[in-house]
Amino acid sequence: MIQPAPGPPKRNLAETVWTRLDRKATAIAEFTMRQYRKRRSTWVVGIVGILLITLVMLFYIEAMAEGIPSQDQDDDSYDSDGDGFPDGQEFLHGTREWDAQDFPGGGVTPDDPSDWVDEDGIDYDGTMNPNQGHDDDGDCWALDPFDRDRNGDGIPCNVLYVWENGTLIDIIKDRNVDEDPDDGEFLNEAVHRSFLLGFGKFGYLFVLGIFIPLFLATGLIRDEHEAGTLHYLVGKPIARAEVLMYRLLGFIGLAWPYFLMLIFFSALVTGFFGPGDSIYRFSDLGIWFGVFIASALTVLAYAAIFATFGIVTPKYGVLLALLFAFWEFVMMFLSMFAATRDMGLATLSVSFWGSEIINSTAWLVWSDHADMTQQAEMLGWVGDVALWQVWLSPFPTTYPIVNLFISIIVLLLLTGLFVLVGQRAFKKREIE
Amino acid sequence: MMPDIHQVGEGQQMPSAPVVPGTPAIMLDHVSKWYGEVIGLNDVSLAISGGVTGVLGMNGAGKSTLLKIIVGRLMPSQGQIRLFGTDPFKNPAPYHRLGYVSESEKLYDWMTGLDFVTTLARLHGMTRDEARERALHVLEFVGLTDVCNKEIGKYSKGMRQRVKIAHALVNDPDLIVLDEPLQGCDPLARTTIMNVVRELGAMGKTVLVTSHILSEIERITEQIVILHNGRLLALGNLHAIRELLDHVPHRILLRTDNARTLGRHFLPHPDVYGVRFPDEGELIIETNNLSGVHQDLPAIIVRSGALVTAIENPDDNLESLLGYLMEGRA
Repeated sequence: MIQPAPGPPKRNLAETVWTRLDRKATAIAEFTMRQYRKRRSTWVVGIVGILLITLVMLFYIEAMAEGIPSQDQDDDSYDSDGDGFPDGQEFLHGTREWDAQDFPGGGVTPDDPSDWVDEDGIDYDGTMNPNQGHDDDGDCWALDPFDRDRNGDGIPCNVLYVWENGTLIDIIKDRNVDEDPDDGEFLNEAVHRSFLLGFGKFGYLFVLGIFIPLFLATGLIRDEHEAGTLHYLVGKPIARAEVLMYRLLGFIGLAWPYFLMLIFFSALVTGFFGPGDSIYRFSDLGIWFGVFIASALTVLAYAAIFATFGIVTPKYGVLLALLFAFWEFVMMFLSMFAATRDMGLATLSVSFWGSEIINSTAWLVWSDHADMTQQAEMLGWVGDVALWQVWLSPFPTTYPIVNLFISIIVLLLLTGLFVLVGQRAFKKREIE
Repeated sequence: MMPDIHQVGEGQQMPSAPVVPGTPAIMLDHVSKWYGEVIGLNDVSLAISGGVTGVLGMNGAGKSTLLKIIVGRLMPSQGQIRLFGTDPFKNPAPYHRLGYVSESEKLYDWMTGLDFVTTLARLHGMTRDEARERALHVLEFVGLTDVCNKEIGKYSKGMRQRVKIAHALVNDPDLIVLDEPLQGCDPLARTTIMNVVRELGAMGKTVLVTSHILSEIERITEQIVILHNGRLLALGNLHAIRELLDHVPHRILLRTDNARTLGRHFLPHPDVYGVRFPDEGELIIETNNLSGVHQDLPAIIVRSGALVTAIENPDDNLESLLGYLMEGRA
């Protein structure tokens, strides 16, 4: 019997070019991470970041513990005539609040004045129903019948929410409805939300997001070049373009878990100490997830940019990176405020697209945010909280989910662009 | 396309560089390199394949530049370089078959020797297991097994040189390029490294080794390339070049208790054309035929009855070799 001639050896499909690249990728990434671990600067930068976040968390806990005291918006907890009954109670019983001789009789005991603070809260049900609000304390129903429908919607003692294209544009109240809401709670909530957004943008995107790559990624190739050890890495059967990518991978392997850890810590603290009746504010996790996605992509983009700077001009790489950081800082401020943001200049920065990710998640997670803004405006609290400074309407489209994807894609494209520039420069670099 | 996460077991070693039979390992075609105004390498053409080749030259002669161009660290300003038929600056594929020991002292001092060699072996596409196995093997080959788990920062100079050599051998290369591997080594490390280089040559590898000390190269190989001021000055068998050197004016230095008597006995020799007494107890013989005088040297010393403590050839070094070659050229 004739044996068939042995053909070329069958190649295991699992052992293709990709597998081998992957081996080299893990080798370089692993090496890069071990190198970071051995450097003192890594630890200094990391610990400073942790201290910074901890400090901010302590400030947050303190602010939340103090809280914002409630005020009596309609002044009905005050006993004008000194007969022992707060004005609100007298008004409800139809007695005259300015006449000490006229007070509810027949076994009615005077209320504690504090009962007449926050006695008529906002009863917004979160839907687009125009008919909102209840007269919790009954002082609207105590009015003359013709006085009960000031907003003219045909429903007595309610609040009319006016919607246009899904946006709340106006709130018109009947008299004495929702007139004394729990502003302490409202403002605490507002401060909490502002804090999350502001901290996410400034603390994570900007301060940590820019400085950690600045210190740790600028030298990914440059430091090796200056230390005279680069030839060990590039003198191997592996393209220089890949060396750069895998070095970046090593940086990401360190930076992403670091950010994840810090953001998780922040989510724990703000979740437990934040306002609300529940033990933990699970609803905020979406925001923190957005902050993590935003910082992860921002850090990746900055790392690619700074590493490229280090390759293109080893001598002035750090200077260039600092100038760039300054540019980002200015752009961050521009993107903070609606007026300057919509000029469009800020779109030429990484921080802008990072903060758009956070803005978009805020829209998705806190769907009542726009209404809170309107309510605050209605109640005259706009100046009290910085809520409006860190929270912006969607950009560039009106759909937050679309904006989210646009921002992610822009950041990835920016990263890719700078990696390509870095790879090109690295390819042509002579290693003296 | 399964990613190899575990990195254990056996990986498939596929040479990425095409192996064309008969292609010289190294081929330089009119290669020049300038650093701004300074010329590093001037129109060098060279083909090297098989065996150990020594590159001789003074400091700044262009040895390192030549080697850096060969291993693709530098791009020639003019001319072509082919490493196994491929331009090494544009394509990393020939690195599969190359081991390079740079002249730089810099290493990752925080790594252990074994770590260093293993990590870099993995860049050749080996799995963790393979890399470790190969690393242990080459570390044994260069005699570093005892210290392979110590940090490189704690190594002596000789050990550092050897760990660099080990890293260059880990992929079992066909071509090994060593830049001043003996520099700063103690005699023991020197001997070890020389033996390693000789052994590699005997294994049929192509080895390129630079030095500025003639006697060092002499102990390693006969095949040499001499560089001077960036130019290729000579190329060939060291002994043949030395033969030429024998017939140029040469000096022999003798240390003796009776220089004058000894000098008198040397004067009648047909090849000796002069004697000098530079110092107390020192005699310099000037000759046109070095080997001829060396042949008769013992007999003359015995006849004179003088006590000779040392015989030196002050001209037997790279400088005089270069001097001769330069003049021969002019």
